[in-house]
Order: sequence, then structure tokens, then C-alpha cells
Amino acid sequence: MSIAPVQEEVTLTGDDVLPDTPWITIVWNDPVNLMSYVTYVLQTHFGYSRAKAEKLMMDVHTKGRAVVANGTREAMEADTEALHGYGLWATFQKDD
Amino acid sequence: MARGFRRRRSGSHVRYAAQLDPLERATVAGLMDQVRELLEPAPRTRDDGDEFSSIVAGLGMGVTVAAEDQSELDASAAERDPALARLLPTANRQDDEVAAEFRRLTETGLRRRKASTLAAAADLMRGDDKLRLDEDQARAVLTALTDVRLVLGERMGLRTDDDVHLLEAAAEDLDPDDPLSYALSVYDFLTWLQETLASAMLDR
Repeated sequence: MSIAPVQEEVTLTGDDVLPDTPWITIVWNDPVNLMSYVTYVLQTHFGYSRAKAEKLMMDVHTKGRAVVANGTREAMEADTEALHGYGLWATFQKDD
Repeated sequence: MARGFRRRRSGSHVRYAAQLDPLERATVAGLMDQVRELLEPAPRTRDDGDEFSSIVAGLGMGVTVAAEDQSELDASAAERDPALARLLPTANRQDDEVAAEFRRLTETGLRRRKASTLAAAADLMRGDDKLRLDEDQARAVLTALTDVRLVLGERMGLRTDDDVHLLEAAAEDLDPDDPLSYALSVYDFLTWLQETLASAMLDR
């Protein structure tokens, strides 16, 4: 299964300064949330395809975590807040 | 005997239909109420004869924590009721200050939204044995079931995937009257119900 890019490439124009270090949103595995539910949330909140949502869900399940989005800190905070609303164990951090 | 959710199309509308008996509906609605109270504490008497309160009392802990504890938005997650901490987890594991700032900015709104979703879902569960939910109602029930299962799972000590299997195995030797045995059967029922709804909603 292939993974589509999480975000479209941003084209820098002219003499733009370097973008801020990208931030990421992570979903962590937990024993309660159902695989079907996690897939549903990733599709609903991010608009991901079924295939992409299932791939990320399986990463969470088998690897313990998956990076589900990247972007500005503000966007990652908003994603994290929304995912907490759904009961997923999400965090945001700088992409090291 | 409960029938899980199925997707039904009536004209241009999609409905999620299930059938639960009154006891099942009352149990689910009652749990949703209690999780809502955990998020949005209101004065209530503890000993109200509620079935789930008794279960939790049997496990040696209360579902509700003192209101004064919950008003401390800045209290560290470590000092909180673990179930509440699971509903409102740390948002940054690398930087406590960033996590605290996020909590300060988002927690009140998150609590309010979760409480409102739980209240709406509980109302729907109290409606009729034959549930017919539209997309928004179904999402409310689906999300509310998650929060209830998170709290119940935390109360039963589910922290890793292995814990679930260990608990299932241990439960076979439990007295059927053991509160943990009952809590597990309720948890399993909620898991089944949520699975049918999540699967039906995924099926787009």
C-alpha cells in the first residue's frame, strides 16, 4: 500500500524566508479505540481516503504511533484538539 | 436482544438503525450521563442506586471526583482522576509548558463540547427501542460511546493491548457477581455496539 503525501507541497516564491520547522500531529495506540473508529475519525477529520486512513490506523496499531498530519504549529494544535474531541490520544510536536 | 447498527437509505437520507431493549438503552444512557458529569461536574448525591455507580464503587473508586479538583484546570494531569486525564490527555509529551498552555487554551471548550455530545447521545438512547439516527446524531453516539469506553477501560485498568486479553482471560475465573465481571460485560456490549456503528458509518 502506498502513502499519499500528507500535505501538498508548498511552493516557495521569490526570496521567502525558510518556513518554520514543520510541526506534526501524532496519534498514539491505546487499547480502547476500535480500528474501525480510528479509520472513521481520520477520514472524517482530515478527509483522507479510506486506504490512507487505514494505513495510518494500522501504523498506530502495530507501531504504537503514527504521524497523521504535518504543518504549522497552529494547524497541528487544532488537529490535536479535534482528535481529543474524538477521544483519540493525539499529541503535537516539532518534527525533529 | 439487541440488534446492532445498520446503514439504511430512505430516499436521499441515510439513517443508522439499531434496536436495543429498555434496559440496554438505560444502561448506555446512564453511563453517558456519568461521563458527562465527570467532564462537567454538577452537585449530585453519590448513592443514587445507579447501577454503574455500584459497579464502580465495587471496584473501589468513584467515577466522579470532587468538583474542586476539576476546577483546577492547571492541575497537572498526574494529579487528576486518571479517567479524566484519559479524556483530556497531554497534548505535548516533550514540553510541559507547551502542554500546559494548550490545556489552558482548549480544555474548557473541549469539556463543554464533549459534555454536550454526551448529553445529546444520552437523549437519543432514551428515545425509543428502535433507534434511527441521522449522520450528526450517529456521530454524537459514536463519539459518546468512545468517551464512555475510555472511562470504563481506564477504570478496569486497560492500559495496553495485552491488558484487554489478560482481563478477558481473568474474567473467566471471576464470580459472575463480581463487579469487574459485570463491568467487563458492559464494556464488551459497548464495544460491540460501537463497532457496528463505526462499521456502518465507514461504509460510505
